[in-house]
Amino acid sequence: MAVPTPDALLATAAAPPLPSLVSTRRLRSQRIGRALRLWVPAGILLLLLAICFVLPLAVTMPSSTSGDIIYNNEAPFSPGHLLGTNVQGVDIFSQLVYGGQVAFEVAFSVTAIGMVIGVTLGVAAGYFGGWVDGVLSRLLDILIAFPALVLALVIAEGLGPSEVHVIWALSVFAVPAFGRISRGATTTVRGLPYVTAARLSGTRSWRIIGRHILPNIMPGIVTFSLLGVGVVIILEGALDFLGYGIPLPEASWGSMIAQGQQILTAQPEYVLIPSIVLLITVVALNTLGDALRERWGVQ
Amino acid sequence: MSAEATPAEPLLSARDLVQEFVVRERGGGRSGVVQAVSGVSFDVMAGETLGIVGETGSGKSTLARAVLQAPRPKAGTVVFRGTDLTRLRGGQLLQARRHMQFVFQDPFGSLDPKWRVRSIVEEPLTAYRSGNRDARRKRVDELLDLVGLDPARYARRHPRELSGGQAQRVAIARALALSPSLIICDEAVSSLDVLIQAQVLNLFEQLRRELNLSYLFIAHDLALVKQVSDRVAVMYLGKLCEVGPGELVYKTPLHPYTKALLDSIPSTEPGAARATATLRGEPPSPVNPPSGCRFRTRCPRAADQCAAEVPQPRELAPGHLVACHFPLTGGAPPGAAAAAQHAASALPGTAKAQG
Amino acid sequence: MNGTQAAGALLQVEDLRVAFAADGREIRAVDGLSYQVDAGRTLAIIGESGSGKTVGCRALMGLLPASAEVSGSARLRGTEMIGLSDSELRRHRGQDMAMIFQDPARSLNPTMRVGVQITEAIRAHRKVARSEAHVQAVELLRLVRIPAPERRFHEYPHQLSGGMRQRIMIAMALACRPKLLIADEATTALDVTTQAQIMELLLDLQAELGMALILISHDLGLAASYADEVIVMYAGKIVEQAPATRLFGAGGTVKMRYTRALLDAIPHLERTAHTELPVVSGRPPDPTALPAGCSFAPRCPAAADDCAAKTPPLTEHAPGHRWACWHPCENGVPA
Repeated sequence: MAVPTPDALLATAAAPPLPSLVSTRRLRSQRIGRALRLWVPAGILLLLLAICFVLPLAVTMPSSTSGDIIYNNEAPFSPGHLLGTNVQGVDIFSQLVYGGQVAFEVAFSVTAIGMVIGVTLGVAAGYFGGWVDGVLSRLLDILIAFPALVLALVIAEGLGPSEVHVIWALSVFAVPAFGRISRGATTTVRGLPYVTAARLSGTRSWRIIGRHILPNIMPGIVTFSLLGVGVVIILEGALDFLGYGIPLPEASWGSMIAQGQQILTAQPEYVLIPSIVLLITVVALNTLGDALRERWGVQ
Repeated sequence: MSAEATPAEPLLSARDLVQEFVVRERGGGRSGVVQAVSGVSFDVMAGETLGIVGETGSGKSTLARAVLQAPRPKAGTVVFRGTDLTRLRGGQLLQARRHMQFVFQDPFGSLDPKWRVRSIVEEPLTAYRSGNRDARRKRVDELLDLVGLDPARYARRHPRELSGGQAQRVAIARALALSPSLIICDEAVSSLDVLIQAQVLNLFEQLRRELNLSYLFIAHDLALVKQVSDRVAVMYLGKLCEVGPGELVYKTPLHPYTKALLDSIPSTEPGAARATATLRGEPPSPVNPPSGCRFRTRCPRAADQCAAEVPQPRELAPGHLVACHFPLTGGAPPGAAAAAQHAASALPGTAKAQG
Repeated sequence: MNGTQAAGALLQVEDLRVAFAADGREIRAVDGLSYQVDAGRTLAIIGESGSGKTVGCRALMGLLPASAEVSGSARLRGTEMIGLSDSELRRHRGQDMAMIFQDPARSLNPTMRVGVQITEAIRAHRKVARSEAHVQAVELLRLVRIPAPERRFHEYPHQLSGGMRQRIMIAMALACRPKLLIADEATTALDVTTQAQIMELLLDLQAELGMALILISHDLGLAASYADEVIVMYAGKIVEQAPATRLFGAGGTVKMRYTRALLDAIPHLERTAHTELPVVSGRPPDPTALPAGCSFAPRCPAAADDCAAKTPPLTEHAPGHRWACWHPCENGVPA
C-alpha cells in the first residue's frame, strides 16, 4: 500500500540548521506587531500624563481660566499660544492641560473607588455564595439600576457642581460594574481544581481569597479597569458638556467642547481640538487594555 | 461488601454512601435528583490499592469526593483510621483528613498558575502549620526529589513551565507533603500521553512500596486500574456491581457489565476486538435509574427478577463479590443462563450472543 | 472492505509540511509527511499530543489557521488539495472528504435542533428542497443507527449523550457520502463501551459506502483492532509505517524503538498488578527547537552517535514496512 518516498526528499531536511518554513520576515513582523500593540498606546498615555501633570511644573504656562480679550481668537502656533486662544482669549493648550488633569484625576479616582469597593463586594459574593451572594448581588443590582448620568445630574443639582461630587456620582456607576465582573471571575476560579485542592489541603478561606482568587482574577480586573477609565473620561466630559460637571471657569474637556459648539460652523477647531484629544486618550486606553488582555490571556 | 481476608481493621471503611444532587434541566424548568452514588460500601486496607472502574456517569468521581467530604455525602459513614469523618466539622475534620490526600485528573487545573512549584508543594504544610519556614523548605526539596523532580531546576518554576507529566508529579508531591497513608487518585493519569502515563504509574508504584501507601485509584480505563490495584470494584450508575481481587475480576468476571467492559477494550491483537459484539444502548439517566438491578436495561441476561429485586452483593469466591441475580460463573441460580456461563468462562469473547 | 484496489490511490500525500509562526517563533508541526490511502481501507495515524497527527490531516481539509504555512502535495482522487482557495475547498469538504472530531458537544450548535443541523449540512452541498433534505436527514440518522430517528430529529444536542452526539456528527459528515472520512480522536472522549459501538458503526459504514477511513488517535490498541495500515508519528515525522497485522499481535515485528516504547507503556490486561512498566525517560522535543538528527534520539535507549548526527530516512526495508531508524529492534524486541 505504501509507496516509499524517495529517500533524498527526506534526507534534505536533515541538514543540521533546519531550513525555516516560515519566513523570518513574518516571524519578525509578528514579534514587532505584538510589541507595538502594547507600547504605542502605553507611550501615548504616558506622554499625555506627562504633559498634563509634569509639564505645568516645569514651565510657566498661560492661565487656563482667564485670558486677555485683546488676544482672543489667536491662531494655533501664534507666539506664546501653542494652540491659539479661544473667544475669551484663554490659552487653548493650557485649557487642554488642566482639563486633562481633571479628566485623569476624576477617572483614576472613580476607577480606584469602583475597584476597591466593587472587587471586595464581588469577591465576597462569588466566593461565599449562598445568602452572602444573595444580599450583595441585590445591592449591586440596585446600584446598577441607577442611570449614572441622571444620578450625577441630581447630585450636581443638589450639592452643586464640583470635582468631588462628580467622582462620587460616577463611582455609583463604577462599583457595581467592578462588582459584577469580579463576582463572575471569582465564581469561575472558585470552581477550578486548584482552589478545591487548596481547600482540601486545609488552607483557610481568607488565604485562598488572598493567594488564589485575587491573583488570578486581577489580570481581568485590570484590563477591565482600563476600559473603565476610558468610559469615565467620556462620562465626565458629558457632565461638563451639560454644565453639571466641573464648575466654570475651571477648564475641562467637556466644557471646552460645549463652548466651542456655539461657534462650531465658524471655528470648528474649538470643538475639534478637545474632541481629538479625548478620542486619542480613550482609544489609547482601550487598545492598551486589549494588548494586556492578549498578553495575559484573559478570556 | 466487607469480607476481608485479614482480620485487621481497614484503613478506610465506607458504608452505604449516598450522594444526590438536585439538577435543573437546561432551558426547561424540569428538575430532578441525580442519584450519583446509591449505597456504596467498601474497605481499603493499609498498604492496599483498591481500584474503582466506571464509565462516565457511574458516580465514581462523586464517590471520591464523598470520601473526602467535599461535599459531605447525604448518608452513610466514612471511617478513616478509626474516626467517622461524616460526624466531624471544621478543624476536627481537617485534622482527621490530614492523612488522606488526593490527586485529580487535570494536572494543570489543579495547580494555581500564579504560584511557583515550591509554594504549591508547601501549601498543605503551611495550612497545617507544620514546622518553621526552613523545615518546610527542606521538606519541599525532599518531596520534589521523591517524585523525581530536581528541586534546583523545578522549585522556582510556574506550572506553565512544566509538561503535563511534570505538573502531575508536582500535584503528587503536594499530596505527599503531610505524609498521608491514603491517596485518592481520580483519573490521575488519564490526561497524560501513554509514555508519560507509564512514568507516573511507575512513580505511584515506587511510592507505594517506599512509603507503604494505600490508594483509592479511580479510573475509567480497566487495564490501567488492573495495573495498579490489589482489588478492583466495578461501578455502574451509582452502585458497585462487582468487587474482588484484580486477577479474579479480570479473568473470571461475574457481572455481565464487567464482562461487557472487558470485551470493549481495543486490544493490541489485530482484529481481536472486532470479534465480539458490544454492549447495546446507552446508560440510563441517573435521575431516574431503572428499578431493581440498574444494569438490567442493557443486560443480555436480564429476567423479570432483575426488575423486581435489587440484587444484593454475594460472595461467590473468596473475596469476590457480585451484585447480580444471574452472575456469569459460580454456584449461582438457575435456568437458561447456566448454559452460557461455561461458555463465558471458557472462551472469553464469545459469550455475547445471548439476548 | 474491498479486496482489490484500483491502480491510483484515493489519497496521495507527498512531503506535506506545516509550520506555524507563534509569538515570533517557528513551530514545525508536520515535517515531510508522505503516505497514501486506498478506497475502502483504514489507515490509523498514531502519535502523542504534538506529534503532528492532527495538524497533518487538518492541512488536507484546509482547516488550519491562516498563520499556518503549508507546503507539499495532497491529491484526493487526483485533485491537488494543498493551495486551494477556501471556496474550492468548501466544495470538496463534505463531497469528497469529511472530518469528525473529539468533542461532538462543541462541534454542534447548541441552539439548533440536530435534525436541522444535518439538513443544513445536506443543503450546503446539494441543491435539494428542504422537505427532501429532511427525508435524507432522517435517513442519515437511521444510517448511523440512532433509534427513533424521527423523534431525535427534533432534539437539541444537550438532550443527547456523548455517543449519540458523535453519531450525529458522523451523520453530518456522511451527508454527501464522502470518499474519505477522517476521524480525529473521535472516540477518545467516549467510554469504552460507547467507543466500541462507534468504531463498529464506522467500520460498518465504511464497508457499506466504500469509504477510506483515517483514524487519528493516541491509542495503539484502537489502531491494532480496527486499522489495516498504521502510521506512527513522532515530532512531525512518520517514524514507522506498516500493515497492522505486521506490527501487532503474537508475531508482531515492530522495528522503531518509539513504537516499541508506546506498545510497552500501555497497561495490558495480561500484565500482573504492581509490575514496573517499561518506560523511556524524557518528553517529546520542543517543536520550536527540534534536535538535529533523529528526533527520538535524546530519549532512545539504543541511541548512538550517528543518531544525533544524521536524520534516519524513512525507507521501505521490508515489503509494506517503512521505518526511520539507524538501529532498529531485532524481531520486534529491543536488541
